[in-house]
Amino acid sequence: MANEMNTSSRHADAQQHLERLEADASKLTDAHANIMFAKLSDLAKFMAKPMVKWSRTQSLWPMQFDLACCSIELMDLGSSRIDAERKGYFLFRRTPRQTDVMIVAGWVTKAIAPRLKRLYAQMAKPRYVIAYGECATCGGPWWESYNTIQGIDQILPVDVYVAGCPPRPENLFIALMKLQEKISGNVVGNTKRSVSENFRRAEK
Amino acid sequence: MRINIGPIHPSTHGALKLVAYVDGDTIQKIETHIGFLHRGVEKLMENRIYMQNAAYAEKLDYLAPLSWDDLYVSAVEQATGTQVKEKAQYLRVILLEFQRMASHLLWLGMFCNDIGQSLTMFMWASRERAKIIKLLEDVSGNRMFYMNLRLGGFSRNMPRDFTERAYDLIGYLEQKLAEYPEVLDSNPIFMERTKGVGVLSRKDAIDCGVSGPVLRGSGVSADVRKSKPYYVYDKFKFIAPIRNTGDAYSRYRVRFEEMHQSLGIIKQALDTMPQEGDALGSKIKLRSNDANPAPITVSRELPRGEGMIYMVPGKQGPYRISLRSPVFTNLYALSRMCEGAKFADLFSILGSLDIVLGEVDR
Repeated sequence: MANEMNTSSRHADAQQHLERLEADASKLTDAHANIMFAKLSDLAKFMAKPMVKWSRTQSLWPMQFDLACCSIELMDLGSSRIDAERKGYFLFRRTPRQTDVMIVAGWVTKAIAPRLKRLYAQMAKPRYVIAYGECATCGGPWWESYNTIQGIDQILPVDVYVAGCPPRPENLFIALMKLQEKISGNVVGNTKRSVSENFRRAEK
Repeated sequence: MRINIGPIHPSTHGALKLVAYVDGDTIQKIETHIGFLHRGVEKLMENRIYMQNAAYAEKLDYLAPLSWDDLYVSAVEQATGTQVKEKAQYLRVILLEFQRMASHLLWLGMFCNDIGQSLTMFMWASRERAKIIKLLEDVSGNRMFYMNLRLGGFSRNMPRDFTERAYDLIGYLEQKLAEYPEVLDSNPIFMERTKGVGVLSRKDAIDCGVSGPVLRGSGVSADVRKSKPYYVYDKFKFIAPIRNTGDAYSRYRVRFEEMHQSLGIIKQALDTMPQEGDALGSKIKLRSNDANPAPITVSRELPRGEGMIYMVPGKQGPYRISLRSPVFTNLYALSRMCEGAKFADLFSILGSLDIVLGEVDR
């Protein structure tokens, strides 16, 4: 009897224990899985944005848009005195499909403007534009000319302007670092890309 | 088959479009499309007073801005009847020759880049050029567009240590230039891509109206510094180097020897320069003395050839100004040199012409 009781109670206990275990286990596995996946997805969400941003900042592939005087200073950036490639992210490509930063160096005439737009459209997204020098920024000395566009912000959105005629190569170096700041989001002030307010000027 | 090259191409040094008609690998005909950088310089110049225009003249040729600046300023000096101070004449010769060397060095670097001799020569040449640019920057205050010429002299006196620094720089350049033939003349890649490539005969060179090292590379002795000496060039001993073959290699040799001649001129100018007196020109005024309205023509030996300005002077600014660019005529010879050449040699030929599109389109 005692044995029977024992066995039955033991059986019941075991049954209960098993049920509890199963319940616990299912709860545990669910909970465990949830925690794990929740954390991973959180982690992924948490990590992905800065990772993507960071990798974008570190792999700036500029496209040469050499037009005039400023391109000589652009060459100087890659030559022996400054050697921008020591930063690791600055390697000129000659095709727009492999690039994400367009450095417009020089005045943009009406003949070149459609080509500039097309080359910009061919670049891989996300793409950034640096207006290097006065002519690309606002027209510079050719402000009154009948054949130049007074700043490339009338046809393209511009991220960073570099002032000077021509700016020193060091200025372009700083401009690229500013662009990195802007991509990574660690920038004070307006992060929007500037487009000229008066579009009429471009249609002149 | 028709092949489009440009307008944005790393070897065209600006916006130049070439259309090549090829049969297999041989170029039959080549068309040059220019005008992508046209901004109406002459018209803009006519609406400014005289000394404002020096800024426009400098931006024509951005590899040797001082040469065009000097050409324009001497045209204005002739129109207004201004005498250049003697010390300023010596200093101008020194700075112009340094500018010529800087221009040739950058050309050498870019030319080697174009023909696939990769970065060694480019790095070396820009290392030497940086030293010259630093001296010119310390003299004038700007890195690229100097704007330090005034009527009759300079905007300011030279720094106190100018002569010592110039002597040091000459020694440095002489030492470094001696190393160049090791990677150029004794390099089979360089010789393969330049010897016998883009031959321009003596007759064609004269017919096309080319000037400067391209003309001298084809065996014609023509140099404005020799034929119509300006400033104090007639006091110095130098030669205008000539080569007879007329190919890309001879153009390179002419420019390379010209750099040595420039060093010689600078050395002589530094030795014989008067030590007393200043080199200051007149200040820029809103209203200065009226110019003589007789039309004038001034020509100078620029690093790329003979530059010329024809000007009808107005009272305070040019009434009509016409600029003769050496690169424009040199580019015309491209179609003759490319006929029958291999397509792969196109950029070797184009590079050897030393083109600057800002000057061609104006």
